[in-house]
Amino acid sequence: MISFVFLGPILWMVLGSVKSDAEILSYPPTFFPSEFKWSNYAQVFELQPFARQFFNSVFVMALVCVLTVIVSACAGYAFARVKPLGSSILFLVLLSATFIPPEATIVPLFQLVTSLGWIDTYYPLVIITVFLHSAPIATFILRQAYLGLPKELGESARLDGASDLRIFLTIYTPLVRPSLAAVVVLAGWHSWSQYLEPLIYLRDTEMFTVPLALTQFYDPFAGPMWGIQMAATTLSVLPVLVLFLFAQRHVISGLTAGAVKS
Amino acid sequence: MTTVQSIWLSLNSINALSGATKFVGMENYVNLVTGDRFPLVFTNTVFFVAAFSILNIAVAMGIALLLNNRLRGVNIFRAAVFIPALVTMVAWALVSRFILQPEGLLDFLVSFTGAEEIPWLRSRWLTLTVIVFVQLTKNVGINVLLCLAGLQAVDRELLEAAETDGAGRWARFRHVTIPQVSPTLFMVFLLTVVASFKVFEVILILTNGGPGYETNVLSFMIYDEAFRRHDFGEASALAVILLLMIIVVSSALWAIRKKLVYAEND
Repeated sequence: MISFVFLGPILWMVLGSVKSDAEILSYPPTFFPSEFKWSNYAQVFELQPFARQFFNSVFVMALVCVLTVIVSACAGYAFARVKPLGSSILFLVLLSATFIPPEATIVPLFQLVTSLGWIDTYYPLVIITVFLHSAPIATFILRQAYLGLPKELGESARLDGASDLRIFLTIYTPLVRPSLAAVVVLAGWHSWSQYLEPLIYLRDTEMFTVPLALTQFYDPFAGPMWGIQMAATTLSVLPVLVLFLFAQRHVISGLTAGAVKS
Repeated sequence: MTTVQSIWLSLNSINALSGATKFVGMENYVNLVTGDRFPLVFTNTVFFVAAFSILNIAVAMGIALLLNNRLRGVNIFRAAVFIPALVTMVAWALVSRFILQPEGLLDFLVSFTGAEEIPWLRSRWLTLTVIVFVQLTKNVGINVLLCLAGLQAVDRELLEAAETDGAGRWARFRHVTIPQVSPTLFMVFLLTVVASFKVFEVILILTNGGPGYETNVLSFMIYDEAFRRHDFGEASALAVILLLMIIVVSSALWAIRKKLVYAEND
């Protein structure tokens, strides 16, 4: 019964995606489509460059994940082990950054993006997302992970003549792999579902990301084309669900590992 | 840095289209507070944040307690609760709108009870509650997982000791379980409060803040002022107010943390 509250909408979406417009608007609604209108799915790709938009989302997400890992691993390690001058103040600033909602700084960011000529490019979606949204929280998670490892590991490696960079890369970083996985999941997920930023930084349909594309299926009278809309939404949900089914255990433990202090 | 920029912009009158900027001091704030839209939006924001945070922690903890029992099919139920969290907010909001539209699935289900057609998306408090519910069902899965992780860390020996001492189910829950999960609950609550100030996609997709400003909240109004009305100054003033609200609420929560959380040792 409670499951239905969570899965019902998804079921209704899939059913709606193969109904004809007439059937969708009929009342009382039919549960099962009387005829399967698969052309809704074809229409998604005809009305918009949906394949390209899908690629945009995947591409941006991949870059965000890679950059977040590099930036936050370096920063997290520095905060945990190297501790440069003023690092505790810097760390506080970083933590407070995770509390600032994107809406609060969107106006100055928009001005910055405009003045750099980054409208309709991937740059703001990757660079601003990494440095403002995903890296701060990732750095926090990785700092905790690096702090949890014994100091003696690095010290004995140093006696064996390993350089600082080598200690960081080959001794400590492989040991925080579970936290790195959590960081990748969080960053990828954040990038994939972002809406406000693409809405403001992108004008060209060719550059749209998936969430932005989903809201564009309207007929000339601004009425939503529900069948096609639901087909597009189903397509957007599908890859995530497939991924989840394959990686259920890792996703769940990854998310809890990052969020609960042990 | 962008925060400082926001504060500076809020003291200027800016027309985003012409690019003209003029220093006007507190004028944006005065205009906002004396206008008739702001009180509406402010109350909506407070209502949304309060209702969402409280309901979220209650529902998350309730489901986590259910899942903590060894029931049949618990894994399926667990996946069911978590799946909406994977779907993007936009997709979830679109599907919700599809269900909530006049003569949609929900109207149909409700018609069995013989009720009149209910204006799910066209009245103030009801619609805000609907928005809370839509946002909640999408994200509660993650909070359930966090609560569950907290519950599973509860000391079994303590629970058994309490049972041999004759403590009933409720007493064990109240005096053994709750204190031990309270740090987790507090973190979940604090994060939800902060996150609930950011509600955006659901509002845009379900109601567009309307009718009028009746279901508008601060984060949405910032977008509306800046990118639809092209008033960057007023949008920045709203952004500063939003930030202040978050700072006040989260530091207040942090200050009373000792009262809420048992055995805090960091």
